Amino acid sequence: MWRFVLRRAGNGAVSILGASLVIFMVSRLSGDPITLMMPPDAPPQAIEAMRVALGLDRPLWTQYWIFITNALTGDFGTSYRWQQPALNLVLDRLPATVELAVAALLFSVSVAVPLGVLSAVYRGGWVDRLGRILAMLGQAMPNFWVGLMLILVFAVGFGWLPAFGRGGPEHLILPAIALGWYPVAAQMRIVRSGMLDVLESDYIRLSRALGTPERLLVWKYAFRNAAVPLLTMLGVYFAAMLGGAFIVEVIFAWPGIGRMVVEAVFARDFPVVQAGVLFSSILFVMSNLLVDISYGIVDPRIRND
Amino acid sequence: MTALAPVLAIEGLKTYIHLKRGVVRAVDGVDLTVGAGETLGLVGESGSGKSMTGLSILRLLPKGAGKIVAGSIRLDGEELTTLPEKVLARDVRGRRVAMIAQDPMTSLNPVFSIGDQVSGPFRYHGGLPRQEARAAAIDVLQRVRIPSPEKRLGDYPHQFSGGQRQRIVTAMAIGRGPRLLIADEPTTALDVTIQAQMIALLRRLQQESGAGIILITHDLGVAASLCNRIAVMYAGRIVETGPVREVFRNPAHPYTRALLAAIPKLGSRGRRLVAIPGQPPSLIDPPAGCRFAARCPLKVSACDAYPQTTAVGPNHSVACWRAGEAV
Amino acid sequence: MTDVVQAPIPMPRMAWLARLKGAPVIPLVILGTVVFCAVAGGLVAPFDPNDADLDAAFQPPFWAKEGSWSHPLGTDNLGRDILSRIIAGCRVSVIVSLYAIAFSGAIGALVGMISGYFGGRVDQVIMRLVEIQMSIPSIALALLLAAALQPGLGTVVVVIVFTYWTWYARIIRGEVLSLKTRDYVAFARVAGVSTPVILLRHLLPNIMNTLLVLATLQVGQVIIFEASLSFLGLGIQQPDVSWGLMLSDARQYISNAWWAITMPGIAIMLTCLAANLFGDWLRDRLDPRLRQM
Repeated sequence: MWRFVLRRAGNGAVSILGASLVIFMVSRLSGDPITLMMPPDAPPQAIEAMRVALGLDRPLWTQYWIFITNALTGDFGTSYRWQQPALNLVLDRLPATVELAVAALLFSVSVAVPLGVLSAVYRGGWVDRLGRILAMLGQAMPNFWVGLMLILVFAVGFGWLPAFGRGGPEHLILPAIALGWYPVAAQMRIVRSGMLDVLESDYIRLSRALGTPERLLVWKYAFRNAAVPLLTMLGVYFAAMLGGAFIVEVIFAWPGIGRMVVEAVFARDFPVVQAGVLFSSILFVMSNLLVDISYGIVDPRIRND
Repeated sequence: MTALAPVLAIEGLKTYIHLKRGVVRAVDGVDLTVGAGETLGLVGESGSGKSMTGLSILRLLPKGAGKIVAGSIRLDGEELTTLPEKVLARDVRGRRVAMIAQDPMTSLNPVFSIGDQVSGPFRYHGGLPRQEARAAAIDVLQRVRIPSPEKRLGDYPHQFSGGQRQRIVTAMAIGRGPRLLIADEPTTALDVTIQAQMIALLRRLQQESGAGIILITHDLGVAASLCNRIAVMYAGRIVETGPVREVFRNPAHPYTRALLAAIPKLGSRGRRLVAIPGQPPSLIDPPAGCRFAARCPLKVSACDAYPQTTAVGPNHSVACWRAGEAV
Repeated sequence: MTDVVQAPIPMPRMAWLARLKGAPVIPLVILGTVVFCAVAGGLVAPFDPNDADLDAAFQPPFWAKEGSWSHPLGTDNLGRDILSRIIAGCRVSVIVSLYAIAFSGAIGALVGMISGYFGGRVDQVIMRLVEIQMSIPSIALALLLAAALQPGLGTVVVVIVFTYWTWYARIIRGEVLSLKTRDYVAFARVAGVSTPVILLRHLLPNIMNTLLVLATLQVGQVIIFEASLSFLGLGIQQPDVSWGLMLSDARQYISNAWWAITMPGIAIMLTCLAANLFGDWLRDRLDPRLRQM
């Protein structure tokens, strides 16, 4: 088990390192960040001095080396806009982003699991058909539009729920649905096909023949097997929500990392963009790692490997 | 008939499976009895309806497609076919009638511990609290000779050998002291030495419990070593039934004879196996007369009508127009 | 016309049309309409999409009380005709889809083929790259790219290609791995056929079906991706018209004109739905194994 965890962690570290290189190179695509930092009429000497001060006169590889070694100590540079360490800005926003991602994941799972299980148990029935329609719509509607529609109906129309900002649980509902809407379809399909396989299995048939009540059979003995593939994907979805809530955060004015990065993009505030993006990558890789480990816990065959 | 009061009596059972291609008459008029402490071997090729007969007793037919259309199944005198599904699930399955699964490698749930799976029926079905269910699980695992079961309750199926898994599956079946055990090919998936152990185990369990057993198998050798009586099934019907020695010594139906001729005997190396020519008939549109007629070496014109069941010896009956004729 | 019964005449040039037999009709009609509007939108649209008419601002669609048939889907805050803007928006969706799919498909297929065919070190390095690429959330990467480059149609395409090539690469690699072991490829190798020829003449035709299915299934995702970037202001810029951009505008006055924010979204939804349904049909027909994707 430990060797398994270590190997996965090693792979993850390489991925993060690679991601940092990609992020660094892409941010340099725009050319010289100095021009963004200095007023357009700044004297050339001043620009040159700034360049030397920031190490931008050195070769790209050296710059990357500086970037990555600094990043390892938690130093992503100082925000051009806020004059604060970029990492602090990101970390300040982290709780809001995590809160939203957790709520969205809860929403998607609590819709997808019952729908998936029931559409497998009553295959071809109305739940199954409803699920298929929801799945098709889910894949065809951009989450920001779902968000806008939710605002239109529940905030503007009925006035039941707040349309923006962070506060009590009522503030969470609409953004969580908007963010959790998209993965419902895929999660439901995973649960459904997993349940279909498991319900046909010898051990469920035997369990039924031995009189296990149908509810236990479905929700305990069959579901835990069918949950294994869902669990692997959950990590991916959680990470995608943590690192991909940009538009939903913008729409609902949610004070998370995503909205901050989008604002930083407009301000060409590269240290913040880099810190934000690298941070999402790290979260993504780490949640995949956690998933691999939890996979091992749920499926004993992997654990004892 | 056997002297013991029958635990199970099946009369005129017809179980049809509705498919898109047509209605498969999987079980098409079967009569059977099993006495207490008796082992009945239900023998036939795959597709002869023997497994479907077993599943009909527990009403575990393919969802939506399979249906008992006629006949009666009585367990200790109580009619099962009219019992509501809920009552059947609660009082019959696993409690009065239990099943030993075919393939031990796939019949245990891979993500639950053995303790959970063996004690499950006691807890959820028998209403025992957790600790007592655990004790009952240990007890029943001991009865199937799992060494030091109290230490292994937390282990998962993949940590047991094939033979051990078959014992665990058996333990799950006998746990609640059923009146009737249905063992569907319990030894097919095992290798020969483990098969022998399994047969010994089943024999001992039966002596201990006095339950009736239906042993569904295509292997006449297994049937011979375990059963008191056998019933030979062909294309949805029983063609011959009788005490095992009697049937083996004086097979009356040409199909039974062909099956017996197909058994490789020890020391008979080099002797050719007699394969039965032809295929069993389609059960969607079975012939009106004897279903074996198309493959039968003794076919006569009378075989166009379905043969009456006739007695050819004590408790030994056969459905064949030419029963008992010397070959 | 005569009333002579005509014998079916083989029409080889139309043979590919026959292969569409059994395709879902409504999705094909929707996709056809979108493509038609992209090509000839100016001819059918009732107004110029950028024609502002402040007197006609905030008109609701025709079925609403104050709506009229002159602006069937209503007007926006500047009095621009929403139907005309949706028709004009087809152009961006189609162009972005074409370029993005062509490039991401070509790059991904090439990389996937090389990775699968050569195996070993090459494969390891490429798959490592794919893994790294996938560890950066796609929208985050898109934001980074959009920040680094000038926003616009070209950037949208680059961003989508950058995000999606890995998808093609992984699936094509798997296909090639299994094709590689087939006899004809082995024969070609033994016969000394050069590697580029094997890749293009022997492997490529065999992965065409897969590529076609993947490309169709990508359409919906590309359209949503473009809309998202444009919505954030990092994609298509005025005066070009894009559905995402329309939504971004309409968001400012969401409480005044529900139709302005509903209609472009419905256009996106219908187009994606049509593309996905058609893609599902194509997949079931050409390459059912892709179902697991």
